[in-house]
Amino acid sequence: MRHLRWLLIPLVVLPLGLLLLSGFGRDPREIASPILGRPAPEWSLTTLDGKALGTDALAGRPYVVNFWASWCIPACVDEHPVLAAAHERYGDEVTIVGVLYQDDPGAAESFLARYGNAGYAHAVDERGALAIDYGVTGPPETFFVDADGIVRAKQFGPLTDALLADRMASILNVAER
Amino acid sequence: MTRHLPTIALGALLALAALSIVFSVRPGPEPTLSERAGALARELRCPDCQGLSVADSPTSSAREIRRQIDELLATGGSDQAVRNHFVARYGDWILLAPRSPLPWLVPLAFVIAGIAGMVAWLAGRTRPPPAASPLTAEERRGLREEAEALDA
Amino acid sequence: MIPTIGHASIVIGLGLTTYAVVAFVLAAGGRDERLAASGRRAVIGSFVAALVGCVAMVISLLTHDFSVLYVAENNATTTPAFISAISLWAALEGSILFWTLMATGWASVVLHRHRARHRLLMPWVGATLACVNLFFFAVMTWAGNPFALTAPVGAEGIGPNALLQNHPFMALHPPLLYLGYTGMAVPFAFGVAALVTKRLDEEWLRIVRRWTLVPWIFLTLGIIAGAWWSYEVLGWGGYWAWDPVENAALLPWLTATAFVHSAMVAERRGGLRIWASALVIATFTLTLVGTFLTRSGVVISVHSFTQSAIGPWFLGAILLALTLSLGLLVWRLPGLIGGGRPSGLLSRESAFLLNNVLFLGLTFAVLFGTLLPLLVTATSGDTISVGAPWFNTVNAPIFVALLFLMGIGPALPWGQASWATLRDRFAVPSILGAVVVAAGLALGLRSAAVLVTLGIAVLVGAIMIGEVIRGASARARGRDEDALTATWRLATRNRRRYGGYTVHVGVLVMAIAVAISSGLATDATVTIGPGETARIGAYEIRHERLVVEPLAADARVIETRAELTYTGPQTGSLRTALRDYPNSPTAIATPAVRTSFGEDLYVTLLASDPSTQAVTLHLFVNPLVVWIWIGGVIVGIGSTFAIWPERRRVAVAAAQPQRAPSVSPVEGA
Repeated sequence: MRHLRWLLIPLVVLPLGLLLLSGFGRDPREIASPILGRPAPEWSLTTLDGKALGTDALAGRPYVVNFWASWCIPACVDEHPVLAAAHERYGDEVTIVGVLYQDDPGAAESFLARYGNAGYAHAVDERGALAIDYGVTGPPETFFVDADGIVRAKQFGPLTDALLADRMASILNVAER
Repeated sequence: MTRHLPTIALGALLALAALSIVFSVRPGPEPTLSERAGALARELRCPDCQGLSVADSPTSSAREIRRQIDELLATGGSDQAVRNHFVARYGDWILLAPRSPLPWLVPLAFVIAGIAGMVAWLAGRTRPPPAASPLTAEERRGLREEAEALDA
Repeated sequence: MIPTIGHASIVIGLGLTTYAVVAFVLAAGGRDERLAASGRRAVIGSFVAALVGCVAMVISLLTHDFSVLYVAENNATTTPAFISAISLWAALEGSILFWTLMATGWASVVLHRHRARHRLLMPWVGATLACVNLFFFAVMTWAGNPFALTAPVGAEGIGPNALLQNHPFMALHPPLLYLGYTGMAVPFAFGVAALVTKRLDEEWLRIVRRWTLVPWIFLTLGIIAGAWWSYEVLGWGGYWAWDPVENAALLPWLTATAFVHSAMVAERRGGLRIWASALVIATFTLTLVGTFLTRSGVVISVHSFTQSAIGPWFLGAILLALTLSLGLLVWRLPGLIGGGRPSGLLSRESAFLLNNVLFLGLTFAVLFGTLLPLLVTATSGDTISVGAPWFNTVNAPIFVALLFLMGIGPALPWGQASWATLRDRFAVPSILGAVVVAAGLALGLRSAAVLVTLGIAVLVGAIMIGEVIRGASARARGRDEDALTATWRLATRNRRRYGGYTVHVGVLVMAIAVAISSGLATDATVTIGPGETARIGAYEIRHERLVVEPLAADARVIETRAELTYTGPQTGSLRTALRDYPNSPTAIATPAVRTSFGEDLYVTLLASDPSTQAVTLHLFVNPLVVWIWIGGVIVGIGSTFAIWPERRRVAVAAAQPQRAPSVSPVEGA
């Protein structure tokens, strides 16, 4: 009984250590997204080319919404070729759409001119309402929507080929994977 | 005069307490739309800031959220409906204060426990140590013999 | 060459500190004075090594030596010299170097000053301090080398963080804060030494009184300087957001303040030994936890840097320090229990104890609120936020209670108070407080927080004035002095008490200023074109012109500047701008603040339209804000007065003329 007091040490140190340790490896800016498993927001915006684009045009096929900005360096620069490759590989079944996040269209055009334009459309989210509907906290964030319009996967931070393949799998039909 | 000072003090404090209760219980004027919008903006977190509220943040996302708050209130939405609108998009993270009452009570419980512990500790100390009982004649003789034995 | 010297000095510092630890431990075991002296010299040597390292870094920054990675990341050819110099503490690796300089400095001063005294304690004090410094040298050697090189060497650097360039306070806030943080290792070292050597009485508390108060003063001023800087620079009109890094600085301050108060009880009445030891351990641990939270990337904050390699190092240090010091405390627990004279439930001791309970309540609340999001995510995967609304609601009642206690505590006698004494001392102040609240209500004030704070502030102020008058008039009567001389002489002969009163006055001023500036502030967002005016409070603001041009000091920065004139309680012109730094995605706001004793006019530029030349401004009128900073200065003056060494009484007595004692024959036996 006398030595019960020594329990104080693990009682204080262990919970504190475990708690502080749990923070490692996680980005504190990443939030649990309530949109997963729910219908994707409806929207209708203008693209960089001046054409209209919206969810009614995207309905029926799986699509990918990628929020990016020209000032988001180096993350958006790193994932740019990954998305270009995805457009090449999956373009027949999946529509890839870029959405500008708090950016100037001129700066975005320069970015595409410098790092390559893969050919998919980029919508200009002028007021930022679409980013809010998707619950975006900062670029790059990418959402994967299946053919029924349900958000199945989200990537917080830049995509890599492996991460992209994993997320794509959730929205492609099983037979075609 | 100074004898009555404490009574006057007590009377003043009681009157004050009564006044405060009257003022707080009496329903104030209905908050205007802009007051409600401001209060809600102080409750919501700016998504791309470092912990600032939507009311304090200059970013364009904060501006858009404030615009959406105004729009939702103007079309007749309640305060709770506005909160739910943003929680549906960002989760509970968008609220600057946790919804569950538990986090609010934990520090209070800590302070109450601390005060209770303090009172218990003080009460334990006010009891003076038991007075040493005087030696009996026999004990005194025994001690003297032992002391003499040591001197030998 | 210079980077090599810098790196070498760090490695030399590591070696010297390791030697110091070994020397001190051996000296303690064998009671060897020469070993202790050599350990002392090694510690002083490690300070010189850290100094050389800092000088090398500053030179590298001033000469824009981009071969050093830290310089390439935090400096550019266009960076002004002043900013280059203070970039020493602008980012992670440099600030650890700067930290080590302060830590070794404290250790050197403490060990040198007590080199001929407390022979049993000092070797262990030295060993503990050297261990702490060893940790920092080790981090610099293996986890975050300030002198890491880059290859190939670029022609231009990234430049300092935009936020850090805008205000001269960048030169003040980190050094003050770091001096406070690092200094808290000293009372910790004495506490550890007392536990190890089983010198468990109040001796170590008497020694550490000044050694705790000096870093406390720096920590207080550093926190206030940080709030002032944040207010002048960040543009959201506030000075405290309960950001994790602000909380990190506040936590050790809270436990250190509790310790300073409990040490007074322990010194006068004995007892509270376990509590005092626990508090110094907590304060030191919290300085490590604070640095961990700031630097590890585990929580988001204004100060957030990217996740760095030193996180695990700091976590390891926290757990190790906590385990060892708690282990010591538990080991010596039987010898620490008891002691102290009993006291009543209503006495100065109980007021001090309640003070400690409340300060610990604040510490717990702030720590809990900061770590709760981490806990929730770790256990359930959800994310929540705990922000200013929660902290303000939870902490406000505790602050108000502390304010109240601050008034009645010093007026209570030691031991046991009688109701009669209390009634006499508190009657008039209570009436005054009630009158002020009633007047506030009558004048239309409806905010409960403001009314309560005002009432308590008047109560506390009146009690303090009563105490001073009581003491000074007693002295004046006894020694035939006038009121002012009596008060001054009383104060200088009771520096602790009157320094404490001054500190409390400073806290009162700050409390009133905080309550009124947050409760009665007004703000508005307006968009006006050139020549148009906007109104806020009693002010009228007129937009004169919009200017877009590069900064004179640093041509890479483009400034969009609104030039305005204003009339009202203050009149003049101001400029508020948005600055585009090349290494920052969003423009940095430079608010304009016009301060008067009554209120601040605060203007931030939110956006501008180049085609119409219209500007969108966020306007604030913040009453009494300057009194927060003035109150902070008063706290600094009061605490410095409290620890200022008193003139030796012996000399004064000897100077008085000897009076021949009159002798009368004694009758009888």
